[in-house]
Amino acid sequence: MSNASLEAVAPSLQPQPGAPDNWKRFFTFSTDHKVIGIQYIVTAFAFFLFGGLLAMVMRGELLTPEADLVDRTVYNGLFTMHGTIMLFMWTFPMLNGLANYLVPLQIGARDMAFPRLNAAAFWLVPLFGVILTASFFVPGGPSQSGWWAYPPVSLQNPTGNLINGQALWILAVALSGISSIMGAVNIVTTIFRMRAPGMGWFKMPAFCWTVLAAQLIQLFGLPALTAGAVMLLFDLTVGTSFFNPELGGDPVLYQHFFWFYSHPAVYVIILPIFGVFSEVFPVYARKPLFGYPVVAVSSIIITALSGIVWVHHMFASGTPDWMRMLFMITTMTISVPTGIKVFAWVATIWGGKLRLTTGMLFALGGLSMFLFAGITGIMLASAPFDIHVNNTYFVVGHFHYVIYGAVVMGFYAAIYHWFPKMTGRMYYEGLGKLHFVLTFIGANLNFLPMHPAGLMGMPRRVASYDPEFAFWNVLASLGGFLLGVSTLPFILNMLSSWSRGPAAGDNPWRAIGLEWLVSSPPPHENFDEIPTVVSPPYGYGSDEPLIANTVTQE
Amino acid sequence: MNRRTIIRLGVLAIADLLISLWMGQQAYRWMPPQASAESVLVDNLFSFMTTLGSFIFFGVMGTLLYSIVYQRAPKYDSSDGPPIEGNVKLEVVWTTIPILLVVWIAGFSYQTYDRMSILGPIEPMAMGMPTAAAAGLATATEPQEPIQVYARQWAWEFYYPEQAVSSTELHLPVNQRARLVLSSEDVLHGFFVAAFRVKQDVVPGRAIDFEFTPIREGRYRLRDSEYSGTYFAANQTNVVVESAADYEQWLAMAAATPLTPAENVAYEEFNQATENAIDLGWATVKPAPAPIVNYASSEEDFHE
Amino acid sequence: MSTANLDPTLDGHQAVHAAEHEEEDHRLFGFIVFLISESVIFVSFFVGYIVFKTSAADWYPTGFEGLEIREPFINTVVLVSSSFVIYFAERFLHKENLWGFRAFWLLTMAMGSFFLYGQAVEWLGLPFGFTDGVFGGTFYLLTGFHGLHVLTGVLLQGIMLGRSFIPNNYAGGEYGIQATSLFWHFVDVIWIVLFLLIYVWR
Ligand code: HEA
Ligand code: HEA
Ligand code: CUA
Ligand SMILES: [Cu+2]
Repeated sequence: MSNASLEAVAPSLQPQPGAPDNWKRFFTFSTDHKVIGIQYIVTAFAFFLFGGLLAMVMRGELLTPEADLVDRTVYNGLFTMHGTIMLFMWTFPMLNGLANYLVPLQIGARDMAFPRLNAAAFWLVPLFGVILTASFFVPGGPSQSGWWAYPPVSLQNPTGNLINGQALWILAVALSGISSIMGAVNIVTTIFRMRAPGMGWFKMPAFCWTVLAAQLIQLFGLPALTAGAVMLLFDLTVGTSFFNPELGGDPVLYQHFFWFYSHPAVYVIILPIFGVFSEVFPVYARKPLFGYPVVAVSSIIITALSGIVWVHHMFASGTPDWMRMLFMITTMTISVPTGIKVFAWVATIWGGKLRLTTGMLFALGGLSMFLFAGITGIMLASAPFDIHVNNTYFVVGHFHYVIYGAVVMGFYAAIYHWFPKMTGRMYYEGLGKLHFVLTFIGANLNFLPMHPAGLMGMPRRVASYDPEFAFWNVLASLGGFLLGVSTLPFILNMLSSWSRGPAAGDNPWRAIGLEWLVSSPPPHENFDEIPTVVSPPYGYGSDEPLIANTVTQE
Repeated sequence: MNRRTIIRLGVLAIADLLISLWMGQQAYRWMPPQASAESVLVDNLFSFMTTLGSFIFFGVMGTLLYSIVYQRAPKYDSSDGPPIEGNVKLEVVWTTIPILLVVWIAGFSYQTYDRMSILGPIEPMAMGMPTAAAAGLATATEPQEPIQVYARQWAWEFYYPEQAVSSTELHLPVNQRARLVLSSEDVLHGFFVAAFRVKQDVVPGRAIDFEFTPIREGRYRLRDSEYSGTYFAANQTNVVVESAADYEQWLAMAAATPLTPAENVAYEEFNQATENAIDLGWATVKPAPAPIVNYASSEEDFHE
Repeated sequence: MSTANLDPTLDGHQAVHAAEHEEEDHRLFGFIVFLISESVIFVSFFVGYIVFKTSAADWYPTGFEGLEIREPFINTVVLVSSSFVIYFAERFLHKENLWGFRAFWLLTMAMGSFFLYGQAVEWLGLPFGFTDGVFGGTFYLLTGFHGLHVLTGVLLQGIMLGRSFIPNNYAGGEYGIQATSLFWHFVDVIWIVLFLLIYVWR
């Protein structure tokens, strides 16, 4: 077996200029997909801390029923920026980082199809990050209209200035869209055109399938958001009347534009995490991914369905009955391809030889929280029930379960799993497990109480609330603070392991996959000779080699 | 599979079912009081979904936990598990079952929504189904002229056209279909009474017909449910459901009361210096002055 | 890898990579992916237009009866024909007839410019502006956004024309030409839909 034979090779030190041990290259316009991948991930994580910090202030405010810690305008600005930062500056860049790092390695390519476009797409992230952050300092403060920026509230512009928080917000989101489109064109081309010889579609790792599925969504969805954002910007700045009811415009049309993208966007976010689950479970259960071809194709089915469900965010909006019923049914069908995946993971784990490394723990924790969130999602899809809980904390609970429970935990799983590959070093398991325990308890304590609060009728986006909701909010705030603390062991672990963790070897998990055949960290241009793939991925338990030739080290 | 395994699995499935049924009963307790005919329908639906959801959740989690507890690799064992790549029969089963469940949930939801008919009776043409059920909820009394509901930044105002009464508190007679026309003069708002389980965005530029049937006397909270700017959280008032006699009496009393400015949290807060720890002086839209009405509710009022 | 060392100035490792990069020229594929995505913006605007038009209470600004169709129609004919002209330019390039290519390519540019000029004249003669109601907004948004694409197309064509004077520039493949003309066809198709929606549909 080729990967076994490679374990003996010590992490090679490359004398090349772009050598992976030169940290300064992370601050350059590097076109190496591995550098760009890490640039994305680290930048995104910094914004995650920033967005999380805003959430800490919000949870501080919500400790008591009165609006006493921060002014109402500040609270409204906080949740707007929290949601915006978390989605546009944390999840999308973070997932682009994972895809950038892993896809070329997993499909046996030397780099992405368009390395310079890749670098340009990345450097837009700090640019729009700065623009969004700058909006805290313009007169009048940042946007206070929520991350949906629904008109007419988003058009009200109380300062009367042309440069205001809302305009900067639109600009930043538009730039984020451009960056994402550039990334999507790049990734889709790479996956279609650069797979190693022998890697047919059904020999491609599930992670690449999910990334492909997710990026296809970006391609058809983002332009709709862009169209809406352009019209909104004109309404705000030059006084056109697209969405302004006073001038004959239609605010509900904006909602359609917004959700036509922003619903599919949640699958852009979750699909690569599904991919991470599909990669991680087989390794630590030592079993092939159960029903791999079906799991792979179900991603594409989710992509297709994601385009026809958006009105479930508008059940209580100005929508007619037939629309509510139609989109209720389409939304529920998503549970079928998703269920296929969930059951396949369970079957993969079942009867395996489990190793509960930190990566595996996070994947399992993420899966369980996703399951919960998916079930509340199906409840929300039921229009008559959603009408009760729409715009309440039940929804906030639902999506933090996915977005924190599954996505952030899935991200941690990915980082722990591929950290040895990315850095050539091992992380500390003890700290990792501490991180897991704090995160898992914190997340559930934070987000579970939101469900009863929502069922009782507590609206979201409120700085003050009726005293009957206080109990659940205190619990949620405690959980939130615990989550804040939980990031500390992670940061500590990463920094210390990266600088002086023990050497990891090329394949510490004995995992199967092209990325595990090269040295850690992988050399410049990944493969000295492009491998020829002869087997499907996940050949655990059988002794078939993955590739025909052996990959030699430089 | 041997008999022992089958029995064990059967027992576990029954346990899962029992827990789920229990969860389904608990679901009613997580909800506010059932103060409208719609709330009964919605709660039944929620209980049903909780039962089903719990069954799936505990079923999957139980399987996972079993693996985690009993199927861990022993310490120095580096062997692989069995190379099972799939099982067509199993995969067909777990594709079909969710499809059937979706049909079930969607059917139940459809029926519930149809019976609520909060946007007025659902047109048979659009829905392909007659709506006899809607009639069952309404009582025989003559439909009165709909109450006008005005939402603004940040106050609620209700206008009873027959009696020419305006109020900042919504009074409704019990067991009669309430008919409202929702309109907004500035931005989006949301009409939401948790005890009624009904909600509808108020869209500027449109007048939206909305109806439901209160069935329980009491005071309930009406909250703005579509984010409407700075004082969104304070844009709340009460709904009073009372007997027909009390309702008539209230209307007569209000009609005889001269117009007075109501209390208004947003307007008052805006005009007084803030005492918050963190106030960065960010801009806000100026609240509309407090509405001038026949009947002004007091913010002190308690609600259920 | 079997690739022979093509360029003696490169060492073995680099030569292998140079050959691989050659094969890996995926720019046209990427460009098509981009165009498909770009078309969704137009589709969104079209949908917006249709929704506004079918639901607006008073569609045209007061005192305005409807758009003049004659000049825009001439414009349309010119733009659509230019799609054929550019096709012939490509054919010439394929046959390595550079001057034939340049002539037809330049004709395409002229037709594109004529279209832009015609549009500018129309805009200047209209009695309503961008902020005059939903109709004014969507009209200028759609024609303006499309016009921006025409302008981009003409500029790209200018660059390609200039490049044709670099010796042997198109010997190793015509990606730039293919992409530009693909873009031009795209812009044309969008215009046909736009013309039907705005000028023909009353
Ligand atoms: C990554 C993010 C993510 C993911 C994956 C999902 C997944 C789903 N979401 Fe969620 N959702 C959000 C993020 C996400 N959501 C966000 C951010 C919001 C709020 C935005 C805002 O308002 O600010 C939101 C809001 C939201 C709403 C609007 C609520 C409202 O505003 O009133 C609805 C309504 O239908 C909904 C439904 C669903 C459904 C049906 C799924 C499904 O995909 C879930 C499918 C999964 C399962 C069902 C579990 C596994 C399946 C099985 C085990 C098979 C058997 C199961 C059954 C037959 C039920 N979501
Ligand atoms: C990826 C997406 C994501 C993530 C990860 C989170 C994470 C968190 N969210 Fe977020 N949330 C959203 C996306 C997300 N959220 C969205 C889209 C909305 C809707 C916005 C809207 O309505 O418009 C929302 C809304 C929202 C609300 C509702 C606000 C309202 O409606 O009034 C609340 C309330 O509790 C909340 C809380 C939290 C908390 C406590 C966390 C925690 O998980 C955060 C944990 C904290 C950290 C990880 C950071 C710790 C930082 C430190 C310890 C300091 C170190 C700092 C430096 C070194 C500088 N969120
Ligand atoms: Cu080395 Cu390309
Ligand atoms: Cu959605």
